[in-house]
Amino acid sequence: MTSTTALFISREDLIHLLEELSGTLEVVAPVLVGDEAAFATWRGEALALDDKNPLASPVEFFLPKKEVLFRYVQYSGRYTFSEDPPKARLIFGMRPCDLLALKVIDGIFGADLSDLPYAGRRRSTIIVALNCTSPGEGCFCRSMGSGPVAEGGYDLLLTDLGRGYLVEAGSPAGVYILRAHHRHFEEADIEDIKEKERLLALAGEKMIKRGPFPNPEKIREAIDGADWEEAGRRCLACGGCSFVCPVCHCFSVLDQGVPDGERLRCRDSCILSGFSRMTSGANPRPDPGERLRHWYLDKFVYIPEKTGLFGCVGCGRCSRVCLGEADRWSFFREATE
Amino acid sequence: MKIDRSKMGTDTLDGFGGDRIVRAAPAKPESYIPFQAEVVDIDVESSNTYLLSLRPMNEEDEHVAINYFPGQFLMVSVFGLGECPISIASSPTRDPLQICVREAGKITQGIMAARIGDVLGIRGPFGNGFPVGSMRGENVLIAGGGSGFATLRSLINYIADDREKFKEVTVVYGARTPQDLYFTTEYGSWQAAEIEVGITVDMIDATWKGNVGLVTSLLADLDPAPGASALCGPPMMIRVVAKDLLGRGFLEEDIHISLERHMKCGVGKCEHCTMGRYHVCTDGPIFSYDVVGDLI
Repeated sequence: MTSTTALFISREDLIHLLEELSGTLEVVAPVLVGDEAAFATWRGEALALDDKNPLASPVEFFLPKKEVLFRYVQYSGRYTFSEDPPKARLIFGMRPCDLLALKVIDGIFGADLSDLPYAGRRRSTIIVALNCTSPGEGCFCRSMGSGPVAEGGYDLLLTDLGRGYLVEAGSPAGVYILRAHHRHFEEADIEDIKEKERLLALAGEKMIKRGPFPNPEKIREAIDGADWEEAGRRCLACGGCSFVCPVCHCFSVLDQGVPDGERLRCRDSCILSGFSRMTSGANPRPDPGERLRHWYLDKFVYIPEKTGLFGCVGCGRCSRVCLGEADRWSFFREATE
Repeated sequence: MKIDRSKMGTDTLDGFGGDRIVRAAPAKPESYIPFQAEVVDIDVESSNTYLLSLRPMNEEDEHVAINYFPGQFLMVSVFGLGECPISIASSPTRDPLQICVREAGKITQGIMAARIGDVLGIRGPFGNGFPVGSMRGENVLIAGGGSGFATLRSLINYIADDREKFKEVTVVYGARTPQDLYFTTEYGSWQAAEIEVGITVDMIDATWKGNVGLVTSLLADLDPAPGASALCGPPMMIRVVAKDLLGRGFLEEDIHISLERHMKCGVGKCEHCTMGRYHVCTDGPIFSYDVVGDLI
């Protein structure tokens, strides 16, 4: 068995593989929580891979909604600090859009290692990605160049062929897993690879049929020309879009506990009214329309300047949660038709 | 605090720093854990403003007390209340490290509740600082309003300690009332160092014999010659003073403005301090007028 060949794994063997891996790692996979698929620690339940991409992105396992930055313990007026080491983890079923989102966040959090908690989790997490054969309704990854085919950033890549999965390795860690658990895999034949290409081309076509799609090149123009006052009236400033966006990474920091306690980091959102308000009460962005405009500018102008990648990966999650009919997808589409 | 000044670096960056001070890197660039500094002295600047002198507890953190620039800031922690950005009020040319804190919210109240011997958490220094390198050989005008004067005091003392490198130096400063004026005991030493000092207040009391009105009225009186300038204060004051200076022939790129924003991380990640494409914490807090003139 060589590392470059594509392999095949049956559905049953995949479960056996995950069972073996969960002996040494925390395995995170999409499972049904209520009626909806969500990424959670896998304990042998049925995998919810056929449903659309879960609303909460697996990027949350790198930048959690809430985490302890460090603990402080006071003794005699002096403090000692402790940090938790990152958990060894495997994320199974991460889609191409979320993979690209992670790459964008690498450009902001990871590149200079100035964010130790993120960098630690990044290094200790194995990613098993899943090519997207059935893109959701609001998805436009094709336009943003993130999918439906994963272009890298994974340790292992799976493609659902119906009777099982085609498996490709994308890193030494991925090759290691294939070798260590080789009895679950068989060599894929040329038909399997052809089938993969057919399915993914079909997925791409499905999205084209649903178009027209936003043109990222034209979005700057659209942002300049949009009526933000009107958008601000429709926006409820609930922050929902930014809490489900896999690229959004705003956070707040707070302490809990006196004299001993924890410094927590939790997700925040630039859409919320108090986000940039200072203690004096002065608020540089008091208007919801202004904040919405900043959100778009950050994704399509500022983040590209910093990372070379768009701050939007076309996962369509913001449109799935928007209550204010400030429907993001139609904004993109109408603005750039 | 004993500081071995021979340990001070000699590296310089273009436009920043000088022959004595390195551009300081954050103490622990990889972690959010602060280092501890002991409060060694407390001065009362006004009814709601204290000047705290700090000494890092560990030797490995002592470099922070000298390796910084006027205009940089620290993230100061009171454990249990949180962390907030506070500008450095002392000059790296003098001991000790000082921060000037005005009572504004719960964290500043917590800092002001500290007594001598208590410990605060410190991360930093952060931000770019004033381009003191490019100010050398120039006339320098320093204009402050209210609590914004704290960061300018760092620059004024820095210049006073290296006075012959600068041409005419003028300081104008306005506060709400005479009781709100900071660093009143130091004006004499600045004048002794041939720095012209103009002070004004908005509202007077029976004891006040000085100027009344806006800092721009001081500019009209003192008529500073064009050169470099450093501004910090309320947004309205910044706009008015910057316009005035442009009228006097100051160039947009020579008007350096220290901006204030809400901050949580200090390292350009939490996004609270964004101003257009800029992070005030890492791209600033000092911006020149040609960059932020239309954003302030």
